[in-house]
Amino acid sequence: MKRGFYAKLAFTGIRKNKRLYVPYILTCIGMVMMFYIVAFLSYSPVLTGIPGGDTLQMILSLGTGVVGVFALIFLFYTNSFLMRRRKKEFGLYNILGMGKGNLARVLLWESLMIAAVALGGGLLAGIALSKIAELGMVNLLQGEVGFSLTLEPEAILQALLLFGVIFLLILLNTLRQIHLSNPIALLHSENVGEKPPKANWILALMGAIILAAAYYLAVTIESPVETLLWFFVAVIMVIIATYMLFVAGSVVICKVLQKKKGYYYKTSHFVSVSSMVYRMKRNGAGLASICILCTMVLVMLSSTVCLYIGTEDSIRSRYPRNINLDVTVEDLNDMDSKKMDTIRTLSEKVVSENGQSTNNILDYQVAAFAGYMKNGIIETDSSHLVDFQLDYYSDVWQVFLVPLSDYNRLMGEDETLNPDEVLIYTTKSTEYQYDTIAFGDREPLKVKKVVPTFADNGVDAMQVIPSLYIFISDFNATVEPLLSITDLRDQQLIEMHWFYGFDLSGNDAIQIAIQDQLEAAIGQTGLLTDNFHINCEGAAKERSGFYGLYGGLFFLGILLGTVFLFAAVLIMYYKQISEGYEDQSRFAIMQKVGMTKREIKKSINSQILTVFFLPLITSGVHLAFAFPMIYKLLALFSLTNLELLILVTICCYLIFALFYVLVYRITSKAYYSIVSGAREGKI
Amino acid sequence: MSMLEVGGLRKIYTTRFGGNKVEALRNVSFTVEQGEYVAIMGESGSGKTTLLNILAALDKPTSGFVALDGRDLSQIKESEISAFRRDNLGFVFQEFNLLDTFTLEDNIYLPLVLAGKHYPEMKQALVPIAAQLGISELLKKYPYEVSGGQKQRAAVARALITRPRLILADEPTGALDSKATDELLHLFGQINQNGQTILMVTHSVKAASHAGRVLFIKDGEVFHQIYRGNNTNEELYQKISDTLTMLATGGDRQ
Repeated sequence: MKRGFYAKLAFTGIRKNKRLYVPYILTCIGMVMMFYIVAFLSYSPVLTGIPGGDTLQMILSLGTGVVGVFALIFLFYTNSFLMRRRKKEFGLYNILGMGKGNLARVLLWESLMIAAVALGGGLLAGIALSKIAELGMVNLLQGEVGFSLTLEPEAILQALLLFGVIFLLILLNTLRQIHLSNPIALLHSENVGEKPPKANWILALMGAIILAAAYYLAVTIESPVETLLWFFVAVIMVIIATYMLFVAGSVVICKVLQKKKGYYYKTSHFVSVSSMVYRMKRNGAGLASICILCTMVLVMLSSTVCLYIGTEDSIRSRYPRNINLDVTVEDLNDMDSKKMDTIRTLSEKVVSENGQSTNNILDYQVAAFAGYMKNGIIETDSSHLVDFQLDYYSDVWQVFLVPLSDYNRLMGEDETLNPDEVLIYTTKSTEYQYDTIAFGDREPLKVKKVVPTFADNGVDAMQVIPSLYIFISDFNATVEPLLSITDLRDQQLIEMHWFYGFDLSGNDAIQIAIQDQLEAAIGQTGLLTDNFHINCEGAAKERSGFYGLYGGLFFLGILLGTVFLFAAVLIMYYKQISEGYEDQSRFAIMQKVGMTKREIKKSINSQILTVFFLPLITSGVHLAFAFPMIYKLLALFSLTNLELLILVTICCYLIFALFYVLVYRITSKAYYSIVSGAREGKI
Repeated sequence: MSMLEVGGLRKIYTTRFGGNKVEALRNVSFTVEQGEYVAIMGESGSGKTTLLNILAALDKPTSGFVALDGRDLSQIKESEISAFRRDNLGFVFQEFNLLDTFTLEDNIYLPLVLAGKHYPEMKQALVPIAAQLGISELLKKYPYEVSGGQKQRAAVARALITRPRLILADEPTGALDSKATDELLHLFGQINQNGQTILMVTHSVKAASHAGRVLFIKDGEVFHQIYRGNNTNEELYQKISDTLTMLATGGDRQ
């Protein structure tokens, strides 16, 4: 045979099927591009050099893995669409005398062409856009960067390798399919007579029950810790239920509608309902996938955007003041002693030397311990903790005992307490449910009042468990007897801290300088011993780390969101196209039987609308029910700005819906042109 | 007045770039009376299908006219043409053209549903037709579950259920085996005896031999016609065969 024959055949094959191949090749290019950009950023030395960049690059290298795995699954999936449509062509070649070996050579050429275009185009686009991504990243990290364009050979190599393997696997899979089938089957593979789907009531019912259970779980969970434990359970339940409902539930609904004669035998319902049954059987899984992808995109986007916007909030709750001193003492007599006064004056001195003044001073002592709460008793006897189980976790509290005088001073209140009374304050929107509170087997104390707020000390932001502040009238008298309690490792259970912090008006550089000077000055006082140490932290110094983490998550959220969006769009496009081809002959028949063009258009419209917007609406409902959980999870990141979260979530949904409508417009156009390609039906 | 009048029908197809002109129909005129059973015969390329498309208002003639009950098809507005087809014409196709997503019953209801009829009314209309065609037991089955002959009978039921003025059949036996062909032709005969007008396009001598009159088309013109008269099916079969032989050997008009 002539040289280049197979290549030519392969090229014609792609060109003739451009309605199918162009989106596929574009997707491949998009995937390669995305992968390269993520890989590039995770290697970029520019990013490594910026404070917080290392955190971000770690997150991004995780992202590389996610994009890689997703690309594999997704390209396989879209390729199966292509193959289903082209089998007929291959069957014809086979019958005309091309052996399977020859077919394999054609397919090999096709794969090579697609791989070349995809890798070439993808890498070019990736390199072009990587600079923009890098600038965006650096901007997120609040750093500075030059405008030179760089290549990352390591990233290019990774992309070539990964996608080379993916294309090879796809080719092998196609060859396997061609090899296993006979020509007649290839010829007819497109329209195998299909049985009408049976309504699977059990599956539909189970789906409904699981979904209801997941929703119930999502809205009833109280504490953030429980949310953390149950979130993934709920997610998996929702995914399973979505698949069940889309695959089985939809058929059940259609069947019920078909039973209602008065409804079914109406011009506007007749054709739609009966073809929906088949459509849902074939595409239920695809639609469920779209729905889940949409939900994931939305959850990811809204939470990462929220985290990023709320970075300052998070920093503030982790570091309540610009400069924070956490003094740990072991001797109760060290509390409120001269030593503390020394530190106070030292701080004032360092600050005023830098031409600044201390504002908004935070200054109080606590006795802190973690305890398991049961019926208003904080379990202090560690032997009880041996049979501790995971689900007790929601009853574990970080307890802070604080003198009432400190509370009154900081909050500007004038509360008084009897010796057997306490005030309490809880964090992470967890409620304390009892009227009394007791430490182990000691006398219970009456809860006089739950106060609405208190000056946080940053410890709460570091832990997933909620904190319980107990304000007591006589600190020493209450704490003294508790000091003898030891934990499982024979360490003293109670830790005593003195928190001292203040805000500064100067910028980050001055704050960092003050922090360093203060640390040095404290070291020179000779106060520090094994029983008395000081931890000095500043918000300014940690800021870049926070932006690295949250900015990285934000960027990754947008990136994966884009990839998933791509995927959802493409699945929808192929669905429409392949359905268009299937419906072509059906609508031709209907025209012959006397259906007007307007009726056909109406019927098509109602079907497309249902199929298209069902996933979007369902993901909206999922999102609404996931909202309380997301809110509680974000509370773990010290983000409690409810309005921000609602706003961001709604914005994400609207932007997403806009994209969706756009895709709808494009794909339904393609669908119409295929269906009406049947022309006026000729007898 | 005849039920269907066709006069001076001419159809010229122009190739896409306007180069070649093909004259599919040159000058076709004939009439069909109420209650007649007419077969139109001709070889491939003789213009049969073009004629049927024009009769079905799916295609427009270059010149000439088609009138059903005195109403000129070319005068019907584009927006009403589907409704006109639905109300006045019943179609039986070679490939059945049943929708595989519907049961036979729903397939038969399709034109009535499109016409906006109510379910009890449709049900009432279906029962006698299904009984006559012998498909009462099959109504709940899907097309892929029944044989070709049964599918074609369902398609006939779909054509009959609107009580059309005229049934247009395009090679109705083309995809059937000989037993199913006999059954279907027998049914057509019965339906015709009940007063239904049928116009059938075919190149099967056997199918044509069941008709009351056979028209022969050659090179876009009605070349000849045979009335059944008192002939039996077998005698008519012989006459048609003779005519076809004569047509093939190029004999002159008798």
